[in-house]
Amino acid sequence: MNLSRPARIALRTAAGLGFAAIYLPLLLVLLGSLNQDRSASWPPPGLTLDWWAAAWDNEGARAALWTSVRAGLAATAVALVLGTLIAFAVQRYSFFGREAVSFAVVLPIALPGIVTGIALNSAFGTVLEPLGVGLGMFTVVVGHATFCIVVVFNNVVARLRRLPGSYEEAAMDLGAHTFRVFWDITLPLLRSALLAGGLLAFALSFDEIVVTTFTAGPGVQTLPVWIFNNMTRPQQAPVVNVVAAALVLLSVLPIYAAQRLSSDTPGGGRV
Amino acid sequence: MTALSPGLSPESATRAAGPGRSAVRRLAGSLHRRPRLRLAALLTAPLLWLVLAYLGSLAALFLSAFWSTDTFTSEVVRIWTSQNFEELVGSPVYRTVALRTIGVALAVTALCAVIAFPLAFYTARVAHPQRRPLFVVAMLMPLWAGYLVKVYAWRLILSEGGPLDWALRPLGLSGPGYGLTATVLVLTYLWLPYMVLPIHTALAQLPDSLLHASADLGARTWRTFVSVVLPLVWPAVAAGSVFTFSLSLGDYITVQIVGGKTQLIGNLVYSNVTLNLPLAAALGTVPVAVIVVYLLAVRRSGALRSL
Repeated sequence: MNLSRPARIALRTAAGLGFAAIYLPLLLVLLGSLNQDRSASWPPPGLTLDWWAAAWDNEGARAALWTSVRAGLAATAVALVLGTLIAFAVQRYSFFGREAVSFAVVLPIALPGIVTGIALNSAFGTVLEPLGVGLGMFTVVVGHATFCIVVVFNNVVARLRRLPGSYEEAAMDLGAHTFRVFWDITLPLLRSALLAGGLLAFALSFDEIVVTTFTAGPGVQTLPVWIFNNMTRPQQAPVVNVVAAALVLLSVLPIYAAQRLSSDTPGGGRV
Repeated sequence: MTALSPGLSPESATRAAGPGRSAVRRLAGSLHRRPRLRLAALLTAPLLWLVLAYLGSLAALFLSAFWSTDTFTSEVVRIWTSQNFEELVGSPVYRTVALRTIGVALAVTALCAVIAFPLAFYTARVAHPQRRPLFVVAMLMPLWAGYLVKVYAWRLILSEGGPLDWALRPLGLSGPGYGLTATVLVLTYLWLPYMVLPIHTALAQLPDSLLHASADLGARTWRTFVSVVLPLVWPAVAAGSVFTFSLSLGDYITVQIVGGKTQLIGNLVYSNVTLNLPLAAALGTVPVAVIVVYLLAVRRSGALRSL
């Protein structure tokens, strides 16, 4: 399309403004974490790194971070296993209800988090509580894994669709049994799809707040829940600022990993 | 393919020795001969999880929407009644909140589309081809920065005497403060990447030949845009709108943080969960029903196939 010069300039300006609007709030969070003033007044009277040190020593924030990491890893592990199993079933077999299964996988992320949250909450209350299992880490992991399955499923299905069956057939002709074929041939071919799916699943879990609110008991606090609870407390404001800024900085890591993954393999992961 | 001669590869011949190995081999063989058994082995665990744990609790929740709550004890009374839905339709408060929620979701979707289009057009067709992957990363990056972090950023920006007020003061203006406008603004910011990415992909995949053909046939830029580009990119807009619409519809955290006194349907669900679960469940059916209707409407545009 031959765009006129004014049209190009207009588009460039619009895109510039768009990117500025996307990044300015994030930059303000970074700047806010250095604000000398305790109540984060604007413009900042001066800059300091003291709050970063204070946040590092904050027990609550550290415990919440650790809880988030553990919940994320456990949910990712469950999602990797279940998502891969469903992906194989849906992609390699035709059976009654195949469409329904792929729909059921997407449902937990398509429905509003609060609906999933209260559904799981009341189910846990009626089923698990009589068994002596209260709301806690276990229920958080169950809740997170439920909506993480879909991202692993999507990545593995996309990879399986492109995978020629000939490698596996060759291995079987050479005498490898079903498990050997999976371990030696299929799994290495799926590796980057599994990594991409796992990365996305962890990020989803790490960022989740709604389902967490309804599945975590009073004792379990993930990092987003901690931020939410401390956001309105004036004396915690500087630490919340630092935690938010640290999360903005950390978001560079998955982007870097995703780029590495997609440049490793043709077609890449769907991150 | 079914004929497995175990001796073909020397490595597998040595590994096959020993009783443990042969048991694995027997299991593998019997699985190999029975595809239905393999399928059952693959599906049992995930279906137990998704159907029993998830769909089961969803069904129980929607069933409980037809129960009621004892007003004195807050205990759920398990007698079949449509009282909750009658209250939902009859009460002007719930109607207003439901309509406001749908309005917010539509406004956020429209704003996202209007902002995303020029942005995606620039990154997909105007920017230097070598820089385009970098722009894609730049669009993806805010997605990873965390939902709550971004809402928190806006809470600071919109606060009284905060950066926005400070920037607008020389112009004699002030920011919108916390409220409905702030909610729409922040939700637009949150879900914008979900709209930009599909539009960018669709625009990047647009074949040049079509644009050249349109120009050869005498169409000017604007005509080409309306008659060629827009119809081809429309499904991507619809696909992005599924995210922006349904994510806005169920949100209640953003409203709590920057919405002031504004209430959306999610807040009503949240505030009823502990005291009146049946009513909360009935309220929860509203966004689900709206999303299903929206998905059915969007499916006609063929957008779901490109998701």
